[in-house]
Amino acid sequence: MMKRNKSKTYTKDENSNSPFDARKKFCPFSQKNSPIIDYKDIKLLTRYLSEKGKIVPSRITGVSSKKQKLLSIAIKRARFLSLISYTNKYNPQ
Amino acid sequence: MNKYEAVLLLSPELSSSVISKEVEKFKKQISSLEGSLINEESWGLRDLSFKINNFKKSFYNYFQIEIEGSKLSEIKKNLTQNENVIRHLFVKVTEHQTLPTKINDEKK
Repeated sequence: MMKRNKSKTYTKDENSNSPFDARKKFCPFSQKNSPIIDYKDIKLLTRYLSEKGKIVPSRITGVSSKKQKLLSIAIKRARFLSLISYTNKYNPQ
Repeated sequence: MNKYEAVLLLSPELSSSVISKEVEKFKKQISSLEGSLINEESWGLRDLSFKINNFKKSFYNYFQIEIEGSKLSEIKKNLTQNENVIRHLFVKVTEHQTLPTKINDEKK
């Protein structure tokens, strides 16, 4: 019987530290000293915007649904005050 | 007495004297309606990420106030009628955060 060679399982290469790792299990806002979601904290909010300025869905960023709701309200407030653009991630300089 | 955070956007064509007058008017109005101003911060002249009635920049002012909820509609009415204030936002909060706000962190 042909000896079945053990197929080499490709472990996920560890150095792909993409911010939106598919199997990210923990929510970045529910840890002990996680940042507070605030509509004035632009640097934190832009991390959860796509290149076109759209809110990245929680299934990709791994944010819990309660925090995702706060996040989206904060982003919409920042957009209203034109701190964040509606159509792209960074303000066009 | 509810706690609110107010953000006012003033049009960029105003001179600094007019701006301080506007801010004074806003504060006087709050105190006249038995509200109290907790804290205040000015974010200065920032460029907008999109044009608001074709202004490219605007003066941002941030206030932390405590006022009766029913009195707020009075303030909002005056702000909307005021041409110098191009946009305003009131956010009800449970407790006031400590200043300075994180708005200028992106510049570092």
